[in-house]
Amino acid sequence: MPEQSAPTPSMEPFRPAGLGDTDGPGTVQIRKLVKSFGANTVLKDINVDIAAGEVCVLIGPSGSGKSTLLRCIDGLEQIDSGVLRVNGEDLGYIEDATHYRPLSRTDRRRQRTQIGMVFQQFNLFPNMTALENITVGQTLVKRTTRAQAKQRARELLTRVGLEGHGNHYPAQLSGGQQQRVAIARSLAMDPQVMLFDEPTSALDPELVGDVLDVMRQLADEGMTMLVTTHEMGFAREVANSLLFMADGYIVERGDPREVLANPQEPRTQQFLKKVL
Amino acid sequence: MWVVCLIITAGIAYTLITNPRYHWSTIRHYLTAATVLKGLWLTIWMTVLVMLIATILGLLVAVMRASKILPVRILAICYINVFRGTPVLVQLILWFNIAALYPHIRLGIPFTPVGGNLNTNALISATTAAIIGLSLNEAAYMAEIVRGGFNSVPKGQLEAGDSLGMSEAMKMRKIIIPQAMPTVIPATGNQLISMLKETSLVSVLGVADLLASVQLIYARTYETIPMLIVACIWYLVVSILLSYPQSKIEAHYDKSSRAILGKPLPTVEVPHA
Ligand SMILES: Nc1ncnc2c1ncn2[C@@H]1O[C@H](COP(=O)(O)OP(=O)(O)OP(=O)(O)O)[C@@H](O)[C@H]1O
Ligand SMILES: [Mg+2]
Repeated sequence: MPEQSAPTPSMEPFRPAGLGDTDGPGTVQIRKLVKSFGANTVLKDINVDIAAGEVCVLIGPSGSGKSTLLRCIDGLEQIDSGVLRVNGEDLGYIEDATHYRPLSRTDRRRQRTQIGMVFQQFNLFPNMTALENITVGQTLVKRTTRAQAKQRARELLTRVGLEGHGNHYPAQLSGGQQQRVAIARSLAMDPQVMLFDEPTSALDPELVGDVLDVMRQLADEGMTMLVTTHEMGFAREVANSLLFMADGYIVERGDPREVLANPQEPRTQQFLKKVL
Repeated sequence: MWVVCLIITAGIAYTLITNPRYHWSTIRHYLTAATVLKGLWLTIWMTVLVMLIATILGLLVAVMRASKILPVRILAICYINVFRGTPVLVQLILWFNIAALYPHIRLGIPFTPVGGNLNTNALISATTAAIIGLSLNEAAYMAEIVRGGFNSVPKGQLEAGDSLGMSEAMKMRKIIIPQAMPTVIPATGNQLISMLKETSLVSVLGVADLLASVQLIYARTYETIPMLIVACIWYLVVSILLSYPQSKIEAHYDKSSRAILGKPLPTVEVPHA
């Protein structure tokens, strides 16, 4: 059997127990998703369901398409084909009785605000203070009043353990603090799904814990989260499901502790032997 | 090395002082003459006005140049190439003679009988032609400077804006323009200083700028070289005065990113009402 073949479609889909709906707010449904950059097909046939409140960790070798998948879900990349439903809505399209129609810009932006994204490089706006970073989306996009937005921003700063840091510019904050402001900035839009693309990879080791604590707290509150990370401890302790990607396919999916301890697929075994 | 420099400097100073044809007394006399000062004043306000118009117009062209809509982008590219690809002196003379091309300008709603005709020659004086010509030309350069600033904004910044659901206009206003400033402002300062000297071209249209006013004097007195030196002294003085804040601004933007890092501020937040 060639090593790079697609996983057998007959594989029983994994469903973590005790979670919410699989359609509607806080869910992600992906069917036959294909995404290529020019001749390079990065995502070949992605099928996955994320339930409301699920914390799903994505792992896989570099270049396997983890970031691309998250970016597709956030609408930062246009998909080539397949179905991509987030929060119970087709991303960028609306389905009526007879066919799919592309959504208006405004509706697409509304869908985006309901999905939060946290980047490896934080991507805070350096020209704004921490507080302004958190209020800008609220006042501009959600049209909340300035006072309410500030109030919310202060609450969120407290929640990520950065009370009183509102007047600091990103350059005055440590990496870990910046990433927590970035999480607060996303949360300010009241998303129902949060995507984290290697949120701790750019951090000094001693700062990783603070960010993971915030993510853990968010998971406890029932946020649907998709996380690519090298933090296997986080996967073991916090995640409901683990997803191993290689060469544009989802090779294996299961309970994080089981998969990490006892991977079924040879590709997963190979990969875990290297990283664990 | 020092010796060589000293000898050269001393040589130049010697000829400057001893060659009577420099007419230093004439220079001193005309340096503050009313005509010269009037010309200097026109040069200064024209520089400022042209740069003001060019910056606003350049920003507009740069925004068009970055547009997602192809025809808008093409229009901006054409503008930039036409105005940068032809000599500014030729452009100035063209604007001065625009009446030959369009003897009348109609103000009103296009393709409707609403509005009235204006005589172009009366509307566009030499000064107006000079301001229009320099501004439109400079706007093309400013557009490229602003575009460079736009391109200096990292892609991740725009993606963060996208992820929050910001529209193109919101990203432009809150992310792109503020972050482009550190590259655009110093470059604009350089353009301002260049423009001061470039305005001397308008003398060919008979606009009484600094150069034209000294030309007027030496046409009468034949003291060509001393009068040109008078003009040069003033150009030099204003350039130096302008480059002082310029160097301050450059130093500010050079430091700001470094100065903030590693200097933790007290963790107090100003309470808001
Ligand atoms: N904008 C792009 N244009 C062209 N190719 C791209 C683009 N983005 C990603 N790719 C390609 O897609 C493939 C998958 O990239 P992706 O970043 O999704 O991998 P990843 O699994 O996140 O890897 P890593 O662990 O290194 O972050 C890579 O081969 C990459 O070169
Ligand atoms: Mg990645």
